[in-house]
Formats: sequence, C-alpha cells, structure tokens
Amino acid sequence: MLITSIGQGLLWAPLVIGVFITFRILDIPDLTTEGSFPLGAAVTVSAMLSGQSAVTASLLGFLAGCVAGWVTGILDTKLHMPSLLAGILTMTGLYSVNMHIMGKSNVPLLSQKVLTNYLPATWSVDLQTIVVGALVTGVVVAVLIWLFKTRLGLSLMATGNNAAMSSANGIYTDRMVIIGYMVSNGCIALSGALIAQSNGYADIGMGIGTIVIGLASVLVGEIFLRGRQIWLRLSAMVLGAIIYRYLLTVAMGLGFPVDDLKILSAGILVIVICLPIIRNKYRTRQQLKRYLKQLGADEHEAEPISSLKRQASPEGLLSRDTK
Amino acid sequence: MSLTIEPGDFVSVIGNNGAGKSTLLNTIAGTLTADAGDLTLAGHSVTKKSVAYRAKWLSRVFQDPKMGTAGELSVAQNLTLAQRHTHSMSLHLYRNAKQEAAYQDLLRPLQMGLEDRLTTQVKYLSGGQRQALSLLMATLSHPELLLLDEHTAALDPQTSAKVMELTQKIVETNHLTTMMITHKMSDALTYGNRLVMVQDGQVKLDVRGAEKQNLRQDELMALFAE
Repeated sequence: MLITSIGQGLLWAPLVIGVFITFRILDIPDLTTEGSFPLGAAVTVSAMLSGQSAVTASLLGFLAGCVAGWVTGILDTKLHMPSLLAGILTMTGLYSVNMHIMGKSNVPLLSQKVLTNYLPATWSVDLQTIVVGALVTGVVVAVLIWLFKTRLGLSLMATGNNAAMSSANGIYTDRMVIIGYMVSNGCIALSGALIAQSNGYADIGMGIGTIVIGLASVLVGEIFLRGRQIWLRLSAMVLGAIIYRYLLTVAMGLGFPVDDLKILSAGILVIVICLPIIRNKYRTRQQLKRYLKQLGADEHEAEPISSLKRQASPEGLLSRDTK
Repeated sequence: MSLTIEPGDFVSVIGNNGAGKSTLLNTIAGTLTADAGDLTLAGHSVTKKSVAYRAKWLSRVFQDPKMGTAGELSVAQNLTLAQRHTHSMSLHLYRNAKQEAAYQDLLRPLQMGLEDRLTTQVKYLSGGQRQALSLLMATLSHPELLLLDEHTAALDPQTSAKVMELTQKIVETNHLTTMMITHKMSDALTYGNRLVMVQDGQVKLDVRGAEKQNLRQDELMALFAE
C-alpha cells in the first residue's frame, strides 16, 4: 500500500510543486489548476493516439499547461482581474478546450507505449511507476532549484513577497507573475499527463478537486519538512504529495467509497490548515510554562498572573542573574 | 506645477497634509501616472512609463520600512535585487562568496551589525535596520534621482536621527540628486541645499543656497499658516 502511494505520489508531485509556485512563491491562489491538469492529460493522450511518442506527448502536455498559465497571467496582470476570477475563467474555458481536444468526455489509450513501458517489463507496475515518477519529478525539482538560484528566480520570489518594492527595483512584476503562472501550470499539466498515462485514459472530470489536493499536499509537506532553502521546500512538496496519497489510500482501506474521496480531501485540507495553528498555540503555552517553572514559580504555577508579576519585578530578575 | 531639479540638488519638500507632496512624489516615481503634462528624467521622457522602467534612473525609500525590503528574503538577497546592472530576468546564478564579502563591506559602515546577518530574513530586523538597508539598497546603483518619502517618519526619534545622518553621509559621498519629503521642519531646514513648499498642488516657496540657510523655523511656520 505504501509502495503504491509512493509511486502515485511521485506522479502527483509536479502538481503539488506547481501549486507551491503560485501559492507560496507568488502568493496567488490559482484555480487554473482544475483546468490545466485535465488539459495536460487530454493533450498527451490525444498526441499519443495520433502517433507521438510518450516523451513528446508529455512535453506537449507541459507546454499546453504553460499556455493555460499564460492566459490566466494575462487576465490577472494586463486586464487587472482578481487572480481568483482569472483562474476561474481560464478553468471554465478550458473545459470546452479539453472537450474539443478529446472529442468525447473519456478517451482511453489503446496499445500506445506509455512512459513506464520504456522500462523492463519484468519490473512490477509499482516499481515502474516509482522509477518514472522519480525521474520526472527529479528533473522538475532540479530545474526549479537551479531556477530559484538565478536572478530570475530571485525576482520571482521578490515579486511574490513585495510587489511594490520589486517594481521600484526595476523588476517588471507583471512579467514575473505571468512566468510564474506558466511554470506552475506547466508542471500541473505534466502531472496530468503522467496520471493519464498511469490510468490509461484521459477524462474530462479528472481535474475536479485537484486544487484541494494540491493545497492539502503543500500544507502536509510543510508540516513534515520545514526550511528556507529551496531544495528543502521542494522536497517537502514531493513528500507532501506522497503522504497525501498514503492518507487517501488508508482512508479507502478503511472502507470509504470512491465517491466520498472528494469530501475526504476537503476534510484533510481543513485539518492540515488548522493543525499548525493549534500546534503553535500549544507550543507557546508549553514554552511559557517552562519559562515560568524556570523562574522558580512552581508553587504558584496555577496562577500564571502572579508569577508574571513576579517576573516583572526587578529583584526576581536580578536574583536569577546572580545564580 | 513646474519643477526642475538640477543635478546635485538635495531638495526638501514640505507642505500640509493633502497639499500634494505625495502625489508629486508618486507621479515622479510612476506609482501614479500624470493626466497631463511632461515628466523628464535624466533626459528621458518618462511621462507614461512604468515604475520598473523608471527604476533605471530612479530609486525610492518608502515611509514604511516594510515597503522597501522583501521580508521573506535575506539581507543578501535584498541587496542583490537592488543591483540593477544585472537584468532582473537573467539566468545567472546570483550567489557567490566575493559578492557576499562586498556586501559585508557595504553594510559595515551602517554600524547596525547587519554585516553578520547576511542570511537573516529581513522580516526579523528592526524597523531602523530595515530602513537603513532600504536606504543602502536605493543608493547602491547610484541613481540619477533618489526619492525619500518621509523615510524617517515611522522610526523612533533616536533611530530617525541616525537614519537621517546616514542619509546625509550617503548622499554626500555619492553626490546623489535627492528629493526628500518630510514633515519635520528641522530636517527640512538642516538638510539639503534647496527647500520647496507645496500647497494646493502648487509650489508656494522654492528657496536655495544662502537664502535657504537664512530661513528660520518660525518664518516657515508663518508661511504654513497663510
């Protein structure tokens, strides 16, 4: 079960990384995800059905995602729409686009060679999935680590953090936002391409709920791996994708029907949003308790106010210093 | 309104709330676009150009210390952003040891201990430290015009005086053309070679040199009351 989750998680990881780029780096909640994910799947499957190799088709899927991101970026920056609305508009429009690409709502792959077929057939499906997922995700992570070490990457981070300061320093923030949307949705579409190949079909409905999956995975990843370095943050995203898959697999193992997976996803997102807040509160309280104990306030521990008063008195502080 | 700032000028701009000081500054910086008229910066007409485009010649220190720096990024990363000779979209790796040593040399004269905190995220710095960093960043590329937007107003009196001193030092050593908005009469009188008073969107007073030196605070206050 865990092995399967690792494989599936690695296929979903580019999506999580894509969501991370808009949500964490640019500080934008981008709903294009729900459209660019099936777009990547649709483009890849259609390309494969018309004779392209799995590698070319996946790259085409990635590029299609970039185009979708570019559209949202233009709506957001040049037409000054709120980013949420820009994402919703692109997502809605993409539904029709995806239908046109696929021709019908579900297109199965026939005997086309998918990425995993390039590996020895003697390997188990799980192993094949893990190897392909690790390779693709590895390349995505490596390229992004490099990107965020360049001046362009720094400009992207600055734009998301403080747009006014960035433009005052000569950064064309509109361009940065558009580039961010493009890279993000390219990754998301790539993930769609991988999932479609793993499932053996592209479906018009496969994008529903992907933004919740993405956000939840980002937050789960950040709970388990924290840090400022970009490689650590990206690794956290991969870990988040895997853990999230595992949580879903466990839930299904407990007997939840497939139809309930969406509400489970939403539930997990609510929990992972609340968890860090509760944890911080708990930690602060623990720290305060420990601090008060150190001050030697044990007999008055039940009355934190009086011990706080004591802490404020200069005598108490001085006597502690002389110890 | 017509105003020409000569190279090497250090102009203090004063005026009541709502007089149009900030509008003037924002129009020069590009945050606001002029409805009519012309704006020429170092020989380039920039009337309809974006903030980022003007940044080639212009730097700005904001009133709010949080505005002028990116809090999530480190001190070194912020300084890198201020180095405008590298294009903001270039794919060059930005970190190297030589650069960091150069940053430390830049930060040491501030005497705020920032040289040892290159990798600290700027959000953990104090307001004074952030504003000093902001000032350093704004002057790093030797802009043709430096805009100071009440840049000491959000600081405590002591820090405010220190940042003001620092400003004077940096402006003098780099011979920067500067325009400073301030609400502090004393600063407006002490610093700079020229004083402009704005009222109702017009230049009410424009004195320089000796004439400015002889101006007293009570005279200025009287002009305000009119």
